[in-house]
Amino acid sequence: MAEDSFLHLARPLGPVSVGTAPTTAPLNVVIQPQAIFSILDHSLRRNADQERVIGTLLGTRSEDGGEVEVRSAFAVGHSEAEDQVEVDMEYHKQMLALHLKANPREVLVGWYATSSELNTFSALIQNFYSGQGDGTWPHPAVHLTVSTEAGKDLETRAYISAPVGVTAERAADSAAFIPVPYELRYGEADKSGLEAIANAKDSEDRSTTVMSDVEALERAIEEVLGMIDRVSRYVESVIDEEAPASTAMGQFLLNALALAPKVEPADIERDFNNHIQDVLVVSYLANTIRTQMELSNRLATAQLTLGGGEASGVSGEGNQRNQRGGKGGRQQRQERAAPEEARA
Amino acid sequence: MAETQAPFAAVKVEALVVMKIIKHCSQTFPTTATGSLVGMDVDGTLEVTNTFPFPVVEMPTESHFDNAAPNPAAAAPRAKSNVAYQAEMVRMLREVNVDANNAGWYTSANMGNFVNMNVIENQFFYQKELNERTVALVHDVSRSAQGSLSLRAFRLSAKFMEAFKDNKFTSEDLQKSTLRHQDIFEELPVQIHNSHLITSYIHQLQAPAASGPTDLPASLSALEASPFSKHNTLTPNFDNLSLNVDPFLEKNCNLLLDSIEAHNTEVNNYQYYQRVLGREQQKINNWKQKRSQENATRATLKQPLLPEDEWQRLFKLPAEPSRLESMLNTRQVEQFSRQVDSFVSSTTGKMFAVKGNLLPGETA
Repeated sequence: MAEDSFLHLARPLGPVSVGTAPTTAPLNVVIQPQAIFSILDHSLRRNADQERVIGTLLGTRSEDGGEVEVRSAFAVGHSEAEDQVEVDMEYHKQMLALHLKANPREVLVGWYATSSELNTFSALIQNFYSGQGDGTWPHPAVHLTVSTEAGKDLETRAYISAPVGVTAERAADSAAFIPVPYELRYGEADKSGLEAIANAKDSEDRSTTVMSDVEALERAIEEVLGMIDRVSRYVESVIDEEAPASTAMGQFLLNALALAPKVEPADIERDFNNHIQDVLVVSYLANTIRTQMELSNRLATAQLTLGGGEASGVSGEGNQRNQRGGKGGRQQRQERAAPEEARA
Repeated sequence: MAETQAPFAAVKVEALVVMKIIKHCSQTFPTTATGSLVGMDVDGTLEVTNTFPFPVVEMPTESHFDNAAPNPAAAAPRAKSNVAYQAEMVRMLREVNVDANNAGWYTSANMGNFVNMNVIENQFFYQKELNERTVALVHDVSRSAQGSLSLRAFRLSAKFMEAFKDNKFTSEDLQKSTLRHQDIFEELPVQIHNSHLITSYIHQLQAPAASGPTDLPASLSALEASPFSKHNTLTPNFDNLSLNVDPFLEKNCNLLLDSIEAHNTEVNNYQYYQRVLGREQQKINNWKQKRSQENATRATLKQPLLPEDEWQRLFKLPAEPSRLESMLNTRQVEQFSRQVDSFVSSTTGKMFAVKGNLLPGETA
């Protein structure tokens, strides 16, 4: 995975005339989890007789072209026979157009296949994707392989290609695949989603429910406790001279400990009281408002049993007054409620 | 469809769908994002297996409620051009073996403010026009940013569907149907489901390839540069340990104030209606009295009587304003207060924990 180290040199290659060859400058590939998930999903849905499936990768490219971010992917039907490969280009084009309609900021960046094998067909498809016109030219097309062979680890690799071949015909169906580094990156927003998904990983039926706030908090605290336990076990074993000591590790832990804030007890007390009061008051008010509104609506719809239009006027009036009272009394109530609830 | 129960009891969402929705919603945040869900329903569970976003198109509001704010993205699911887009996309997806049945739509929300006309109309459109077995998934972007994913599934209740179809929201109708704001939505439990491949992928991510003992780092910088500190894939999420409560409270207060404002407007509207109605009725009564007096004098003079029901032509009673808005508003406020409650429950816990830790001597 990311532990592979790369030394990537740009080199001119192949007989293609200058200007038409896509650049092979070093680049870094960033993959977002939903793209991987799409690929895995597609792999599950392949036809029974298909060895691998392919699809198009969409994403963004940084301005200098040095970083490609793969954001989403869609499947493209294809069939492979002994000596020929057919890719549903019409489908690819239509799907691309549909996708771009909804995600105008994303562009075509390459393609994926769900096997680690690189063969002549890969080269052909690669040349299509990196070609002029419909392809990514003048940028290199990224080829991502995600092996989904049963019983083995999922292996992800990213490549770009350089043209090779002595004649133009040979160059059309061959390509030198150059591995490029990639990383899996996700944004702040994806974190909570991934966490929920990761929750399901150990359960038998591979599913989980969405957690409530308190449950999530509990989980986070448990995790922190687990980490502290691990660290303290390590420290203890160092003290007992069971594990080798490391200055760097000690320094790191000391730095982490130094992050604990030093605050005056009085300040804590004050801040704590202020905040807890705010929180409780807002909760109290929210529930009061809810009750008021519900009451007002109930009164308004229950009017007919009280005897026609007259009564509804009265109840409407009543609501109005309640409402005003609710607003005007806000300040006082706030003051009254806070100490009460804080005590409780 | 009237009295039948919901056709399914739970919603099962694939991990892929969760990630796609999160991506789309957070990309367009704070604007509303909407998209379509496809899937299948199996034994009382609606399995949502794929999704795609709707393009945002400019379109005139076709709402029969004129005051609906023109928000192209929020109205997208029922826009004509998107019906075509959706049909096209579903057709394309079917070709690559995706369960290409429409399963509903999703929308993003900000602090739970999703109870509005747009959502109702969209879901109504889906449940009525397309398929009874559809669901609205609501992903709350700002609540998810606090640490725990907020994804909820809603349907309109059969009762509400019926009332909404005929637009029966006067007080009299509401009394007859005993429709309350709690009855607008049915919330369905959401389950997140992973495929086998994703399960193994996640396991693999969490157990990095390094096996066997590693050398201890030589220096602090070496430690920080080591692959372990960089290997941040699927680190636990500690956002929900944050003690910063004020922004959330502030936002919630603002939303609540807005709701009060809306409620006031509704009440004022209704009062205005009551006043006008009262005035008109007064006039009618006056007219009737006059007419019967006239008829009485005419009877004594042996003249032909004038018709007494002419008032129906002469006076027009004002139409009663729909109570739907205030119902929705109440539902929205309920949503807010639930949200605040759940926030409070976790926050107070955190705060007492912090206090207990920083002031060890005292018991809070």
